[in-house]
Amino acid sequence: MDTGDRGARDKAFAQYVLPEVEVLLRVAMTLTAQVADAEDLVQDTLLRAYRAVDRFDGEHPRAWLLTIMRRAEMNRHRRRRPHLLDDPDTDLDRLASTPAGPDAGPEEIVVGEAFDEVVDAALADLPDKHRQVVRLVDIDGLSYAEAAGLLDVPEGTVMSRLHRARKRIRARLTAAGLAPKRGVL
Amino acid sequence: MSSWLWQRRRSRRMNCMQVARVLQSYLDGESDEFTARRVAEHVEDCRRCGLEVAVYREIKHALARHDTPDAATLSRLRGFSEALMGSGPPDDQVSRTPSGDGA
Repeated sequence: MDTGDRGARDKAFAQYVLPEVEVLLRVAMTLTAQVADAEDLVQDTLLRAYRAVDRFDGEHPRAWLLTIMRRAEMNRHRRRRPHLLDDPDTDLDRLASTPAGPDAGPEEIVVGEAFDEVVDAALADLPDKHRQVVRLVDIDGLSYAEAAGLLDVPEGTVMSRLHRARKRIRARLTAAGLAPKRGVL
Repeated sequence: MSSWLWQRRRSRRMNCMQVARVLQSYLDGESDEFTARRVAEHVEDCRRCGLEVAVYREIKHALARHDTPDAATLSRLRGFSEALMGSGPPDDQVSRTPSGDGA
């Protein structure tokens, strides 16, 4: 590669990729759950992005990088974990329904340390696929479309997993007396 | 406001079940402007749905406070990016510390 090509590539990389490094690390943590694996995955993504950035059109860099990360993650899985996780969606339909009595409970939210602890515990207890979507949207800050692209599922799947997961979190808060029982939502 | 206009506006209002169907997208900023406005109107008047919005907003806030990326890892990755720009990608497999910072 000559100096001019290198300069243009470095410029594009600095413009499109560097601002997204933190998001990439957050997302990689969600996908791998291990700091060392996440770091490897981001490095792999950065390398692939650097090699491809001169062909990138400049539109939606985050979505482009997440696509690269998805491919890198798929390669990692092929090498390490050829089996697929069971789909928990069906079971969750049954578990996620919140028994809401017509007139129970104090109508207030008790926000504080205990609230965060219950949310964290509920998040940890979610099935992997649902926890992953909650993390991608609520913690990593991805849009539905970005999360769907990363996970290679329809946006509707992202929405339904997200909604079910939040309902379960909400049910745990209700059980802990930190949120009202009533609600059609 | 005329009675006809009031009736028309009222008939376009969402009910609780309609709000329930779109509430999560609304909270995530993923619903269109028209829907968002209608949800906001309903929630302002309906105590039950207003409370549900408040609960789910607090859940989102609690989750957003959940994690911050490890500062040392982030710093290494930024160093990795700068090393790529400085010397280009290695031809061989990915190595964890190509910048040789000993991390």
